[in-house]
Amino acid sequence: MQTIENIYKPILVEIIEVIQETADVKTFKLKFKDPEQQKSFSFKAGQFAEYSVFGVGECTFCIASSPTRMDVIECSFKVAGKVTSALDRLNVGDTMGLRGPYGNWFPIEEMKGKNVVFIAGGIGLAPVRCVIWNVLDLRKEFKDVTIIYGSRSVGDLVYKRELEEWAQMNDVKTVVTVDPGGETPDWKGEIGFVPTIVEKVAPSGVDTVAIICGPPIMIKYTFPVLEKLGFTEDNMITTLENRMKCGLGKCGRCNVGNVYVCKDGPVFTHKQIKALPDEY
Amino acid sequence: MNEYIITNEQINQLASELLNKNWNVVAESSDGISFKSITQGEDIKLNPSSKPSNLSPKQFFFPKSETLFFYKKTQTDVEIIDTAGVGNKTIIFGVKPCDTALTGILSKVFNWDYKDEFFNKKVENTVLIGLKCGYNDDDCFCTSVGLSPESEKGSDIFLVPLEDGSFLAKAVTEKGSEFVKENSKFFAPATDAKSKPVEMKAAPQKKFDPARIKEWLDHNFENEYWKSLGDLCLGCAQCAYVCPTCHCFDIVDENFDYMSGRRVKNWDCCQYTMFTKHASGHNPRSHQSDRYRQRVFHKFKYYPDRFETILCTGCGRCIRGCGIGMNISEVLQQIDKF
Repeated sequence: MQTIENIYKPILVEIIEVIQETADVKTFKLKFKDPEQQKSFSFKAGQFAEYSVFGVGECTFCIASSPTRMDVIECSFKVAGKVTSALDRLNVGDTMGLRGPYGNWFPIEEMKGKNVVFIAGGIGLAPVRCVIWNVLDLRKEFKDVTIIYGSRSVGDLVYKRELEEWAQMNDVKTVVTVDPGGETPDWKGEIGFVPTIVEKVAPSGVDTVAIICGPPIMIKYTFPVLEKLGFTEDNMITTLENRMKCGLGKCGRCNVGNVYVCKDGPVFTHKQIKALPDEY
Repeated sequence: MNEYIITNEQINQLASELLNKNWNVVAESSDGISFKSITQGEDIKLNPSSKPSNLSPKQFFFPKSETLFFYKKTQTDVEIIDTAGVGNKTIIFGVKPCDTALTGILSKVFNWDYKDEFFNKKVENTVLIGLKCGYNDDDCFCTSVGLSPESEKGSDIFLVPLEDGSFLAKAVTEKGSEFVKENSKFFAPATDAKSKPVEMKAAPQKKFDPARIKEWLDHNFENEYWKSLGDLCLGCAQCAYVCPTCHCFDIVDENFDYMSGRRVKNWDCCQYTMFTKHASGHNPRSHQSDRYRQRVFHKFKYYPDRFETILCTGCGRCIRGCGIGMNISEVLQQIDKF
């Protein structure tokens, strides 16, 4: 039978490790079933993929590992809908599907030689973490690196082992916070919403790029703080997370105005976002 | 010379011969509902003045439900089984200009970066026989979106009814010329002595100016007008299903049993509440007015912005079929007056 080139066909990957990040967030380490496909696969920090559980469907999220570490591909997801619930039931050794990488990426090359401030909230650390490792693996090429991460409660912090690893590094400033009321009696980090903590840490906006991912409400209140600190609209970079099906600019649902998040995004500067209609 | 004469009888004979060669021969069904595969050549009765069928022939290029691949699972492994993606050679007879235009319009979105070969192969595999249109009612507005009852856009061969009952057949594309060559016994070269084209109903009047509409849309994403429209629209999606150019789709898995199934691409619609709803519960287009606005913007601003083509052929099906009388032509005429 003659077959056609199929852009909707996923690559088969095997789950080699499952990390329970929080009660409802997991990280999968994935290896390609076909070593040749593993070799030819490449992506850039910020790009996303369509992950599938055969028999249930596909789901969109970022590639959470760094392109500087290509031995495994990692993804982190929060159990929220049909497909993420099915992903939650998979175990080490199971096969799933992956389509991608899709979309644009963070401008790592242009960030070189500058200070970098990472600001993330909740599961929003997943796309940021990919850039953090990318930057840390090329540490000498960047100036000061600051990481500000917050979640609702101590129990909701993801990548805890890595937060500790970053805190130990001499050349990285790491600040972790939880929302007021989310602390435990032995909590040693900050208490306060992310925008408040950003104001307190007060990284200079001069010659600095800020990468911000998290709940829309966090992003909304962080921008004005950064503006006060001297960040320009072009140097505040975030991602949009609209619902997608194809990831290829065809299925017609992720657009914000005439911008397709899957093709023109998911990475946008604050300047670009300000030009968009309120539809995200 | 790319002009020929073909009679009704020859069209029936041609169809019979193609059926014998295992072609999928398609024509408008006599109940006026849709385009269907026929089983005998005589079933083709070309009628230039008939009302457009309820459904456009879009489904022959972009099926309502299309298998992307099959999967078979074992305990921990999965096997993906490819599909052919394209069937027998297809010919569609008697397609009006507001429908033939759909292949050219849709090929833009299906090819602007990643190429959707499911669509492309079907277009390649199909001969479109266009037919000059003699129908015109209050809902028709092809002339307002750059088409006309005699537009040859998308046709491989375009038929013009002649007074003696035969048709002038113009080979529009190379594929059309090839087809005529391969089936030359049914096509007589057109001579100067040919019969005159039949007088047909006048083309619909131009009802609005799409350039002015786009200019208004450029500045009126936020406007009270959208709210008033959203309160009327039921969000039932029939407008998208009958539309020759609506192409939004969903991708879902359908299980045959516990261990096997298929992944399919299904027609979807931007008017549904769930279309853009996030797993978190947040919905960027939470009100029907947001969704109706998206439909108008996609067709008359976003698509022209990106692909320099209006995502509408003016066939009027969405107006004729709407259960509560939503009328995109009136909406656009209203915008033209703003």
